[in-house]
Amino acid sequence: MILTPKMVARIALIGLLGVLLQLSFFSQVELFHVSPDILPALVVCLALLGGSLTGAVAGFWIGFFVDCLLVEALGVSSLVLLSVGYLAGLFRERFEIHNSLLPALLCMGFTLGAELAFGLIALLLGLDAPVSVLIIRDLLLKSVYAFFLGWPLYLLVRRALRPALVEEPKLQRRRQPKALGV
Amino acid sequence: MLALLIVGSFVLLTITYGQGSNGLQRGVSTIFSPVQGVADRALKPARDLVDWFDKTFDARGENSRLKSELAKTREQAVAGLEALQENAQLRKLVKLDRDPALATSPYDLVTGRVIARSPTVWRSSVNIDVGSGDGVHVNDPVISGAGLIGRIASVEPGSSQVILLTDHESAVTAKVLPSGVQGVVKPEVGDPETLILDFIDSTKRVHGGQTVVTAGWRAQGLPPSLFPPGLPLGEVTKTSPIEQAIEQEASEQVDVRPFADLRNLDLVQVLTGGSRG
Repeated sequence: MILTPKMVARIALIGLLGVLLQLSFFSQVELFHVSPDILPALVVCLALLGGSLTGAVAGFWIGFFVDCLLVEALGVSSLVLLSVGYLAGLFRERFEIHNSLLPALLCMGFTLGAELAFGLIALLLGLDAPVSVLIIRDLLLKSVYAFFLGWPLYLLVRRALRPALVEEPKLQRRRQPKALGV
Repeated sequence: MLALLIVGSFVLLTITYGQGSNGLQRGVSTIFSPVQGVADRALKPARDLVDWFDKTFDARGENSRLKSELAKTREQAVAGLEALQENAQLRKLVKLDRDPALATSPYDLVTGRVIARSPTVWRSSVNIDVGSGDGVHVNDPVISGAGLIGRIASVEPGSSQVILLTDHESAVTAKVLPSGVQGVVKPEVGDPETLILDFIDSTKRVHGGQTVVTAGWRAQGLPPSLFPPGLPLGEVTKTSPIEQAIEQEASEQVDVRPFADLRNLDLVQVLTGGSRG
């Protein structure tokens, strides 16, 4: 991804809209008693398109913004989402994404990982109440929702960032160019 | 760069954990709470649509439960009418003319709308669109039409954060009616439909269907309860004996279903002013 100031502003706008949409819509609706969480999926999409550093920076600031708006302890969401962004970007840099389902699967996996990381941090900071087994249902359903929301989210983010994306070389060309006269 | 961000996160966490809101959060919240308010209103039809689907799925299971509850409630209504008659007579006797239902009477009610909700399952908090400018203070109780839902954890000029009863930091002193058994209502993280009544007196029995209200403790030498007495909290759904590991004494675990639907909150009321307890 070629990061110009215009593209950075566009990523910031995507993050801002994502956070507002999450807090005002997705966190307040429930299907089967569980609310979707699109923020890890959004960070994964940005990381898959922009790489590990873009993912980590986007994750940090999206987390920071969420913690500011929810008046939570700053740093928790930043830490989790920057890890998600970095790891997803690293995956993009190490492996080719051939399958169109892969971004959605990564959104699913990283959402589960993010929720577990939030739980781990909550435990480390002192969880003062027993944990219900129903939390497993919540974690799994959140991941499933991330799978279904991750795919359109990836397409939308890719469309928004298209001018900055470096065209990948086609793996199979129908006609190989030949030098003239050979 | 990555190391810088990680260190930055830890520094932020260390500085701000347990400190409440800071200037930066207040600034961001002040700027964005009107935007959140607009987004909340604009997205309400879409939320209602999704809720309609969710409730339709739920309605089947709910139907049989509600039928049995209705039968139980009829019995309780008859008993309640008798108690009201008796109560009216007793009130005349002691010349007590205040309405017992208005336990919240010394408070001013400030109505607010939920504009944001924590996305993770490990936290249970909402943000509302009323704040210090509307007379809201930290630790003010927050109710919905059905009963207590939580307390104000932090206040900004135009918005406040409400820690719900289902958040792991929440604990409310409560009593079971009519037996008067007292204890502390705590959440079970991950289950928004169950609260646990803990630290109860094991010599008295608690039964399913009994009502749990705030106790509003005011003990000498201890800070008074944040919540006034008599606010409805929930209904006892299950009691099961547990063995105390330390004291080797039989006790009970009491599950309470909150009256308020803590997963679908829209309009709430903050009890401002008044004396605690």
